[in-house]
Amino acid sequence: MPPFPESAAVSARPPGEVLFSARGLTKVYPGGETDVRALDGVDLDLRAGELIVLLGASGSGKSTLLNILGGLDVPTAGTLHYQGTELTHASDGTLTRFRRDAVGFIFQFYNLIPSLTARENVALITEISRNPMTPEEALRLVGLGDRMDNFPSQLSGGQQQRVAIARAIAKRPEVLLCDEPTGALDVKTGITVLEAIQKVNLDFGTLAVIITHNAIIADMADRVIHLSDGCITDIQSNAQRRDVHTLAW
Amino acid sequence: MILAPLDLKLLRDLGHMKGQMLAVSLVMACGLAMMIMTSSLILSLESTRDAYYAKNRFGDVFSDLKRAPNALRSRLLEIPGVTVVETRVTGRLTLDLPGMLEPADGTIISIPDDRPQQLHQLYLRRGRLPATDRQNEVVVGEAFAEAHGFEPGDQLDAILHGARERLTITGIALSPEFVFEARPGDSLPDNRRFGIFWMNERELADAFELDGAFNSVLVDVAPGEAVAPVMAALDRILAPYGGLVAYARNDHGSAKRLDDELNVLHGLSVAFPTVFLSIAAFMSSAVLTRVIRLQREQIAQLKALGYSSGQVGWHFLKFALVIVVGGTVLGGVAGVWLGSGVVSVYHKFFRFPSLTFHADYLAVGSAFIASSVAVFAGVIGAVRQAVKLPPAEAMRPEPPAEYRTSILERLGLQRLAGSSLRMAMRNIERRPWQSCFAALGLALATGIPIVPGAMRDAIDYLMDFQWDMAQRQNVSVSLIEPGSASALNNLAHLPGVISTEEFRSVPARLRFGHQSRRLGVTGMIPGSRLSRLLDATGTPVGLPPSGLLISAKLAEILGAKPGDTVTLEVQEGRRPVVNAVIQGLITDYTGVAAYMDIDALRRLMKEGGSISGAHLTVDAKQWPFFLEKVKESPLIASLAIKNASRQAFRQSTAEMINLVQGLYFTFSIIVSFGVVYNSARIALSERSRELATLRVVGFNHREVATVLISELVVLTMVAVPVGLLIGTGLAKGIVTAASTETVRLPFMISLRSYATAVLVVLVSSTVSFAVVSRGLRHLDLLGVLKARD
Repeated sequence: MPPFPESAAVSARPPGEVLFSARGLTKVYPGGETDVRALDGVDLDLRAGELIVLLGASGSGKSTLLNILGGLDVPTAGTLHYQGTELTHASDGTLTRFRRDAVGFIFQFYNLIPSLTARENVALITEISRNPMTPEEALRLVGLGDRMDNFPSQLSGGQQQRVAIARAIAKRPEVLLCDEPTGALDVKTGITVLEAIQKVNLDFGTLAVIITHNAIIADMADRVIHLSDGCITDIQSNAQRRDVHTLAW
Repeated sequence: MILAPLDLKLLRDLGHMKGQMLAVSLVMACGLAMMIMTSSLILSLESTRDAYYAKNRFGDVFSDLKRAPNALRSRLLEIPGVTVVETRVTGRLTLDLPGMLEPADGTIISIPDDRPQQLHQLYLRRGRLPATDRQNEVVVGEAFAEAHGFEPGDQLDAILHGARERLTITGIALSPEFVFEARPGDSLPDNRRFGIFWMNERELADAFELDGAFNSVLVDVAPGEAVAPVMAALDRILAPYGGLVAYARNDHGSAKRLDDELNVLHGLSVAFPTVFLSIAAFMSSAVLTRVIRLQREQIAQLKALGYSSGQVGWHFLKFALVIVVGGTVLGGVAGVWLGSGVVSVYHKFFRFPSLTFHADYLAVGSAFIASSVAVFAGVIGAVRQAVKLPPAEAMRPEPPAEYRTSILERLGLQRLAGSSLRMAMRNIERRPWQSCFAALGLALATGIPIVPGAMRDAIDYLMDFQWDMAQRQNVSVSLIEPGSASALNNLAHLPGVISTEEFRSVPARLRFGHQSRRLGVTGMIPGSRLSRLLDATGTPVGLPPSGLLISAKLAEILGAKPGDTVTLEVQEGRRPVVNAVIQGLITDYTGVAAYMDIDALRRLMKEGGSISGAHLTVDAKQWPFFLEKVKESPLIASLAIKNASRQAFRQSTAEMINLVQGLYFTFSIIVSFGVVYNSARIALSERSRELATLRVVGFNHREVATVLISELVVLTMVAVPVGLLIGTGLAKGIVTAASTETVRLPFMISLRSYATAVLVVLVSSTVSFAVVSRGLRHLDLLGVLKARD
């Protein structure tokens, strides 16, 4: 399997280059008598360095879109290109390579390996990446330089989520996909987590896509994509991104 | 029938975990199968034996003598406690069989022709008894007849007491005194070269010059009467008639061989099942603990809905019950099936009119109770913990698992460990008991195949020891009557004889304290080169000019040691009784024996250069001529041909060993497959979220499988050496249990047996893991994004 196209330094990439290009993206889940159209003909371009917020009610299709973007699922119809490479019909091996090289995931419930310390959880990714930062570097970026040798059970929810962010960014991904990253956190902790995502987005020019139910978070985005019944109903561009520190909910 | 909702849940849950339930049930079934098989074999053999002995009137006390008049019978009947006395004539015969270069030999026994046979009644399989008005008719033992394909009407040439006769077979029969139809002293039957024959009394007495006399007595003792006074009285009355020491059933060659086999089975019926049941109990505990952990919230909901702790607890105990019932049914079926197969192998060693398999249903019941106790003990803790949680608390997810650095890291060896190994080590340390039992299961699986390996090695060694190291002659010749120096000279002049080494053998009784044994004492020439006495290491033991060398097993039975003085009561000639010092011990593997300097024995017997026979080496080219001459010789009672004995021994052990090996390998494969399958399934289930996360962040299937397998690899690496030790112990235990007076096995395990055991476990574990790891392909990658811990 050939390696996925190399990205030497994400920060050097000129902003605005299209990374993802989706056309007529459709996902239908067979549901007995009535099929469920989770995505229904989505056309979308996502560019390097953007911070995107996906907003929508439950069942609107935002998670399905994120899963397809992350190579965790394949569309039923339509096409998806990543930097010109078509992902629509990619093999399991190609998708694995794509996730390994290009994508960082952040989950609502952190999904850390409980038997590994913070440092080792990050090292798990740096061991298999082509051009990673050191685990220490990644953890310092998210403000956890002093908790590197703690096990997940010894960290608070916010700290665990920041370890998850460190794990996601340690490989210097071009894309950061975050599914409800603050969903399980209180406001104060949520802000520190969003800060870390914003920092990565700004410092490395990483395309960050955040799913949230929280409309306030939308203010920190470049663009806010509203989804409903599997369709994009509105794309709102913020003239000015609000700094995370100023958010409150 | 409408099932209660909880039972429906049980059925569906079981459906989801059928692989694991089957794995546990199978391991349990191995133990129960072994238990039921051995118990059923014991029941079958014992009940068949008892019925046969009773119906065909097996005697209680036996004695052989030189010659006594038939009139003595009435005096024997007067011995208190004696109900029946049967006197008879027995002798040895040599056979010249078509298609066999070497002579065969046998024992021929009289059938009363003027009165009904009261003891040791024949069971006639085919044909008829010899007619009183015809000559040279015989009935033949079934095993010998089968080995040669003899049928009633066939004829064979035999030498009876020096006279060549053509015998006609009238019937094929069995007798309770020859359940084990083998040459006296042999540990395994050689049915081609040894047979039992029965002939009318008058004719046989005539042939052996015992007209109006007998040389063998069988006695039936009234129920409840002690046999020892009867034996003493027999000895007293028969002494003037050359009577040898009387003996009871427990010293009867055939009966003792069967009892020894039953003792071995009794030993096996407890030890093995216990080990299997312990492993099955642990596996059930691991499976159910996981089920309960995964169903924590459901338990809370059930309790919130109003189900009592007892109802919920019973619901989960039903999972265990299903395992036990499944295991018992599988084990019962397998045990009965295996038992009925093994019974047919026993038929080759032990001859009964009908050895039918009786399933021991009591053992099935005991097996059910034993496995219920074992499994319930394994799961009760988890069930109790689950039901005692308040519903509100149970509905909250379990707190995150706590880990700490593993011992490798605490020892500063973290550089040696990659992430997978670290995870494995920490998981193992977090659940030490679960890991311990999984390792123990694998260790057991490693140990089990060592047992048949050790048996094979022991038999190989025994054969080398017996027929290469100890016996270097080609053939041993026994004379009908002790001969003189000229007899040795005659043997030396048989065609092709290169060297001779004479021996003198007398029947005797050795006494030490309260213990005594009947045996043969053999006088050998010092520094003998052909037949050698060896110690356990195979080093020749020098024959002392006075005193005895005895089998190590005999010393153990008598409770004597070198330097002790035993009483030697010779049962031949002038029947001297002397004290003799045990000068040393020798190693042998069949029967027990005592040896002394041939000249010392001759002095004791007050004889000149007497011999009982000789060991010979014979030129291979002259072998057929040698045998031809031997067949014609009226003075030769029997011939022990080394290569023939070796071949017969190999043939009769091979089938049993193959059977045991097949059985133990199967058990080993089931246990290792089951343990690995279960451990991997549990790990896959408990860590599915962790493993799916790894897939999401870019690990491929192989890398995720490595994480999953690391723990099992670590456990296997610990388990295999432990298993080799367990196997060594098991083999030692079985060899010790099987070490009886009639036959013993040396304790010997080759590198090949160890390697085979490791290979069996590694291959079955790998296949098992491969089966489970297919589940990695179905990990719910999308689910991990949403599911909470």
